[in-house]
Amino acid sequence: MKSKNITLFFLTSFRPFHVEPNNIIDDGPQEKISAEAAVLNSRLHYYSRLMGSSDRLLSPPDHVIPQPDDIYIYSPLGTAFKVPGSDHPAKNPSIITIFAVWNTMMGTSILSMPWGIKQAGFTLGVFIVIFIGLLMLYCCYTVLKSPKSISHIDTSDWEFPDVCQYYFGKVGQWSSLMFSMVSLIGAMVVYWVLMSNFLFNTGQFIYNHAHNISEADSEFETNGSEKVICPNLDPGRNETISTLYLSDYRNTSDVSSFEQYWSKTDTVPFYLIILLLPLLCFRSASFFARFTFLGTISVVYLIVLVTVKAAHLGFHLEFHWFDKTQFYVPEFRSLFPQLTGVLTLAFFIHNCIITLMKNNKNQENNVRDLSVAYLLVGLTYLYVGVLIFAAFPSPPLFKDCIQPNFLDNFPSSDIMVFVARTFLLFQMITVYPLLGYLVRVQIMGHIFGNHYPSFFHILALNIVIIGAGVLMARFYPNIGSIIRFSGAICGLALVFVFPALIHMISLRQQGKLSVVSAIFHSFLIILGVANLVAQFFM
Amino acid sequence: MSSTAMKKKVLLMGKSGSGKTSMRSIIFANYIARDTRRLGATIDVEHSHVRFLGNLVLNLWDCGGQDTFMENYFTSQRDNIFRNVEVLIYIFDVESRELEKDMHYYQSCLEAILQNSPDAKVFCLVHKMDLVQEDQRDLIFKEREEDLKRLSRPLACTCFRTSIWDETLYKAWSSIVYQLIPNVQQLETNLRNFAQIIEADEVLLFERATFLVISHYQCKEQRDAHRFEKISNIIKQFKLSCSKLAASFQSMEVRNSNFAAFIDVFTSNTYVMVIMSDPSIPSAATLINIRNARKHFEKLERVDGPKHSLHMRMR
Repeated sequence: MKSKNITLFFLTSFRPFHVEPNNIIDDGPQEKISAEAAVLNSRLHYYSRLMGSSDRLLSPPDHVIPQPDDIYIYSPLGTAFKVPGSDHPAKNPSIITIFAVWNTMMGTSILSMPWGIKQAGFTLGVFIVIFIGLLMLYCCYTVLKSPKSISHIDTSDWEFPDVCQYYFGKVGQWSSLMFSMVSLIGAMVVYWVLMSNFLFNTGQFIYNHAHNISEADSEFETNGSEKVICPNLDPGRNETISTLYLSDYRNTSDVSSFEQYWSKTDTVPFYLIILLLPLLCFRSASFFARFTFLGTISVVYLIVLVTVKAAHLGFHLEFHWFDKTQFYVPEFRSLFPQLTGVLTLAFFIHNCIITLMKNNKNQENNVRDLSVAYLLVGLTYLYVGVLIFAAFPSPPLFKDCIQPNFLDNFPSSDIMVFVARTFLLFQMITVYPLLGYLVRVQIMGHIFGNHYPSFFHILALNIVIIGAGVLMARFYPNIGSIIRFSGAICGLALVFVFPALIHMISLRQQGKLSVVSAIFHSFLIILGVANLVAQFFM
Repeated sequence: MSSTAMKKKVLLMGKSGSGKTSMRSIIFANYIARDTRRLGATIDVEHSHVRFLGNLVLNLWDCGGQDTFMENYFTSQRDNIFRNVEVLIYIFDVESRELEKDMHYYQSCLEAILQNSPDAKVFCLVHKMDLVQEDQRDLIFKEREEDLKRLSRPLACTCFRTSIWDETLYKAWSSIVYQLIPNVQQLETNLRNFAQIIEADEVLLFERATFLVISHYQCKEQRDAHRFEKISNIIKQFKLSCSKLAASFQSMEVRNSNFAAFIDVFTSNTYVMVIMSDPSIPSAATLINIRNARKHFEKLERVDGPKHSLHMRMR
């Protein structure tokens, strides 16, 4: 009797993905899938057939998905492989981590290094760079270590503000957030000042080239092919560059009207609003994250620029230890806290070092890699600072002329510097929205719980940030001061006080706090406070 | 009671968002179209027209929605809804913050049942248990069970804890179905005899619409404790694929060098799955055996009293 049933065999292409346990292949001895994982897999396949592909009604929530050990990759041939370490995000080798840390730390403070060394005196300046670098490295190491001492909670995705919240409650959370904001907003203000500066100089260069004007800044410049100028920029006063326009057929009214419309402090900061306010209001900053490589290129270009300039100008160093001479500065000056303030921001990475180090492939090398990164950063800063300081042509000019932004010491007609300025301008325009996004996420996230409450909230925040930048660019465009103040303020909390306190508290909880350690860390806190206080007396 | 009386119902009730639609979709293999995932309370009852256990029709009701309109409709249609109910399955969301309100709606449903269908069986499912931490699940479920049993008097309710992400959902519904089959013990004895006669490794009896395992016999220990749910999922997926071609699944034979498995229609409410580990036995022999057994089991079902109204369907 022939059966009327239709006999069906499973076709390979329609086989639901269940694999017999003895087909599981592993590197080690034969292993089987856990029963829970196998049946969950069956459920997931079935549930996915019940909905449209974009529907998430029956998608497994996170707590249901099995442990990474139970996740296998099935091949169509029926074998299954356990993927080793498949739960971790891409782990980076040490060299990448070191580079990431270096890249993140390298900021606009590199432009203020020569000025900072000048303010402290050459010898003292070099010592301070090394000393502060080591100090900040130690504090960074403390920050990196801080989540590890929390034993009973999973701290794998914590950042330093979370650790502060754990130890100090709401106070810790809000104050670490606030101080972190100071560093970010300080950086954004510096960016605005610099962008106005670079845009002004770029515009000036193009205008001069177009109208064949050769600009010479009266007696405060060197002769020869490599011009270095000493602009009489005084913070608090409007720019008073004495310019001499040698031009054949230029109407003075024309020239002055250009100067009217294109002024470094009066008008250019406002022109930037038109460009940057829309960019800041973007919902997502992922587009701008693609341009972070520009930062690296601009630092490398600056190093090249500095080398070339130093080679052309030669060294002009004279060591006058304590007395002030006309052309040189003493080796030890009482203005050195200004340098420490700048360096606190220059070496600042404490609010994101945990995240950066998390993806290091060999975690046991974290301390070594961090130290190497700090060493490289210190060397880069020293290189730029020392070379510009040493190469600054002192006999005609004064060392005291070195500007907080050392590019200001070169006229706007200098081609290499023009390229540097344009490059930096472009780089800053792409980084500025990224910083704004970070500020927005942190502030909006903590106050409203939502990263984008409404367009008007974002607009209000952006107007405040841009307003601060414009005001500074208009009335006080001294980036050296802005950097040292914001560095000292945010460094107080996030570099000196919180890490030291947390370290001491965790040691005391373990009963391992020694007197020496307590004295040393208290001394760190005192240093941080002194750093901030000293800024106000300079 | 005439055989053409109103169809008996299975009421699936619970608060809006407690998981009824997902549960119904998973158990009955209904495709959830995007728009039927309503954004508010279900205003109208969802008739599933699923032949469950022969003649029962599945009705899905939202209970305790936000609308007062909903409540008025509910109270005015109460008798209509609760008449001729065979089974009431009430779903509680374990994470609900309004326990008082939930219990209140549950009690009003029970009152209506007492008035209109006093013979109905009541099942309570404490759902979404995966959202509770593992070590607390038993405790919380016991608490809820005690409360529910107390509130349900004089009706007797059976409580289960369920989650769509583990085996508890399948097991709970299998238990419900097991309790609804009228002569299930007899079925089991006969199934065992059948299996021993044909020398099968394992014989399973599935409910037709949902492929929930009603009863099974195995002659030796099997490795995989979850095999029932997995088979059910596989066949339901296959049924979904068949329905896309406007074909309906009737039977299947799967064979390799180690075993032969036969899935076939059995009685009007059930499917049977026979696993033979002796591959030398020809398929035809097993199929004949199954066909002969079918007649015997159908007679068993027919024997039962009219009040369970499991109608026979002509082939």
